[in-house]
Amino acid sequence: MSAWLRMHAQAFRDAMARLAAQPWASAVSILVLAAALALPVIAAVALRSAGAAAAGLDTDPHINVYLALDATDEDVKRVERALRSRPDALAVKFVPRAQALQELKATTHLAEILSALDRNPLPDAFTVRVRTTEADRVAAMRSEWSRLPKVDQVTADFEWSGRLARWVRFGDRVLWVLAGVLGIAVAFIVGHLIRLQVLTRREEIEVSQLIGATAADVRRPFLYHGLLQGGLAGGAAIGLAALLAGWTSAELSALTPGYASELKVVFLDSRENLATVAAAAALGLAGAWLAVSREIRRFSAR
Amino acid sequence: MIQFSAVTKRYPGGSDALRGVTAEIAGGEMVAVTGHSGAGKSTLLKLAAGIERASGGSVVINGQNLGALGEAALAVLRRRIGFVFQDHKLLYDRSCFDNVALPLRIAGFPRSEAARRVRAALDKVGLLAREKAMPMALSGGEQQRLCIARAIVNRPTVLIADEPTGNLDADYARAIVDLFVSFHQVGVTVLLSTHDEASLGRLGCRRITLANGALVPTQAPA
Repeated sequence: MSAWLRMHAQAFRDAMARLAAQPWASAVSILVLAAALALPVIAAVALRSAGAAAAGLDTDPHINVYLALDATDEDVKRVERALRSRPDALAVKFVPRAQALQELKATTHLAEILSALDRNPLPDAFTVRVRTTEADRVAAMRSEWSRLPKVDQVTADFEWSGRLARWVRFGDRVLWVLAGVLGIAVAFIVGHLIRLQVLTRREEIEVSQLIGATAADVRRPFLYHGLLQGGLAGGAAIGLAALLAGWTSAELSALTPGYASELKVVFLDSRENLATVAAAAALGLAGAWLAVSREIRRFSAR
Repeated sequence: MIQFSAVTKRYPGGSDALRGVTAEIAGGEMVAVTGHSGAGKSTLLKLAAGIERASGGSVVINGQNLGALGEAALAVLRRRIGFVFQDHKLLYDRSCFDNVALPLRIAGFPRSEAARRVRAALDKVGLLAREKAMPMALSGGEQQRLCIARAIVNRPTVLIADEPTGNLDADYARAIVDLFVSFHQVGVTVLLSTHDEASLGRLGCRRITLANGALVPTQAPA
């Protein structure tokens, strides 16, 4: 083993020994760091889960046109022609009231209630896939079509899905800001803890420098200490987030049967977990670097 | 081996500790630096060990001009010089063994090799039986010897000691002086400061005398 490798191994052992020397203090500081790191991890999991739920929904822009219950076949044909004449309408799909009833019975738990009714409460309807999501043109289509004879109601269901997509994008940005701010906080907390370590070992550092330790030699064990603290905190943060996800996912999937789209907790994948731990370790390293460099500069003012 | 050329040292805000000192210590030589307290003895030794830098002039060790070395290179050079500090600079939170092992840890020695050398150094100064003791439990003379063990554990070719017989009883002082004479006899270059006439007589070596930071014309060996 080369002297270089030995010195790194020695610094690593030294850092481990320092963590182990004060097990409670180490555990508490790692938990504090983990709590700070867990927040963005939890936010990321929530966002992915919301994103996954949104992806399961039909988000193609479409407008539903419901006819009156007393509309005749003649009325249906007239409305269909009117809908097809509009250039913004990409596809027009007719949903007969009988078929709508079958679908409703199949996909929900309302079958018993529906069969108790003596007649079909659902109207004939058209689903029109449209070219645009521009509010003005959608509003124009809605008002034009609701004036057609025997048209009862026109709804543009995609407005909320566009809004949902925007909320997800907004959440994404908030997540990055949160991760950035808490990441900086973690670097500073580690820096502070390392600074305390440096101060308690001031004599050892001074003597070591006198008998031939370079600044890098002095820094090395503290850097490993910061790296370890950060990495362990990153792992603990993922553990905390996983616990929370497990706890909430049972409740969330209990909500699912009532809705067409499946709700479930989507956790980070293994690569993202690794990246989180690596990022936390890097933050610990950066914090330690800043603290130690500053303190060493102060010692070696000769 | 060690050459001082017109060396000056001025501490920030203080007076001149050294003023144009020129001197040379040959390889394998033993030299005592004498003078009243505050004459600049400690400063001269620290400059020779690369612990401090000269404000003017040059300090050359083994052909290397210390002024031209960067911080890291200077630190590495210090590993090849054994230094016995006036105030010991022992670490009181660890055993004698660990104190002596510190230079080897810094140099990245394998642990088994380091343990062997530490025991050899402790044996040389007569402290092998105390390897597990804490420095606080040692007498003043023993602490001094522990400091010497740490200085020689790296097998330096130059050994520098600042007032090694400082606050010791005559018997202890004699034992310490004999230790340095024995290092000199095996070829180590020894540079030490003292103001104790008895020790100087026992050393029987060339003297460099300082007064107010300047060299006093050399005297013949006693």
